[in-house]
Amino acid sequence: MWWKSLSVVILVYVILAGMLVPLKPGITHISPQTAKSGSAVTIQFHGYNSFYTRSEASGIRVWLEFDSLHALAGQDIRVLSDTAIEATFQMPPLLPQSSRSVLLNAIVDHPSDGVSLLPGALQLTLDTAPATSPATASWSLNPVIDLHIKSDFSFPYRNVIYESIRNTYFHVPMWFVLMFLFIASVYFSVRYLFDPKPDFDRKAAGYAETGLLFGGLGLVTGMLWAHYAWGAAWSNDIKQLMTAVALLIYLAYFILRRSFDEPEKGARLAAVYNIFAFASLVPLLYIVPRMFASLHPGATGNPAFGSEDLDNTMRLVFYPSIIGFSLLGFWIAELRIRYKRVEDRAMGLD
Amino acid sequence: MKFFRMRKVFTIILFMAISLPSLMAQGNRDFMRESGKIYVVVGVIGLIFLGIVSYLVYLERKLTKLEHQLKDDKNEWTN
Repeated sequence: MWWKSLSVVILVYVILAGMLVPLKPGITHISPQTAKSGSAVTIQFHGYNSFYTRSEASGIRVWLEFDSLHALAGQDIRVLSDTAIEATFQMPPLLPQSSRSVLLNAIVDHPSDGVSLLPGALQLTLDTAPATSPATASWSLNPVIDLHIKSDFSFPYRNVIYESIRNTYFHVPMWFVLMFLFIASVYFSVRYLFDPKPDFDRKAAGYAETGLLFGGLGLVTGMLWAHYAWGAAWSNDIKQLMTAVALLIYLAYFILRRSFDEPEKGARLAAVYNIFAFASLVPLLYIVPRMFASLHPGATGNPAFGSEDLDNTMRLVFYPSIIGFSLLGFWIAELRIRYKRVEDRAMGLD
Repeated sequence: MKFFRMRKVFTIILFMAISLPSLMAQGNRDFMRESGKIYVVVGVIGLIFLGIVSYLVYLERKLTKLEHQLKDDKNEWTN
């Protein structure tokens, strides 16, 4: 059927685009990462996916930024390689706020690469010794302006997760497929209660089973990603806990189905249980996680994904991915339902 | 017989999926954290693929069992 071929075409596109489109350039780290006020420091900026040599050094600008009004511009910028720039900074004798130390963001503005930023890159501590840098060094002389904002076809660069931002197209759609399949399942459970045809029961069970498969895949892929992004596969994050509870509730649905000798009685009770399971799924997946702090992006408040987490380039892969995996999920569910129909007919139950 | 063989294959695949990254990490640096953690994405796609394939294998085994049952029934009727 046409939608099955469509799912294959979309998934091939998603895997190719999701793996091949490059990341925007970023800054992995700078060295040194600490400095004292009132000194002159030479700092190296280490880029990721950057092509610093593609432009004249005079066009490149670097800053250590405290906020939009307070920033230090780097002097004598030297391009060492495609992924390293060196610049000298005159640290002013005073900090922009009255504290012992401040964290500064590193910014590189490149004519062809565009702008990249590393938050909290350098810790500047207040030094009470006499200043060696000239008195002209000031926080407000060189504001961060005239940036080269690029809007090419590339995915955003994020520290810590780096390339694994591409998992957005493979891990997140699992939960969308789970939701669509569970909606289909509860729809047929309700229809079964009004009109006890065996076909409705088979559909409810088939969609729920496939939904559980995708839920399990979402959980396992999430654990692999979490191991490398959060440091531990399971960190009792609110979303991890609530989805595990939701999957266990649906697991109980299958145990309930099988614990009756009379298939009709089991089907009726399972249909009722499915409605309750679905009713608990919505708060477990969509309401409770938003009320607590979470390691997941956009956990507190709506929507689940901010524009920070999903830019327009990612949308071009993310939305097709949801459609592709959903069609695949319904395809697998259809096979399961057709199998069950044949089995029931063979056993003389339908 | 066939069932146990299938199970063995899956145990081996699962064991490899779990132990391969850590085995490679012992060599030089952490393999999975290199090249911008791209192998985490490869691992995630691999897990999804393995998950779907193992579900299909499970379905196929059920189907084979049903086919055998139907064949036996037919033989009983014809005899």
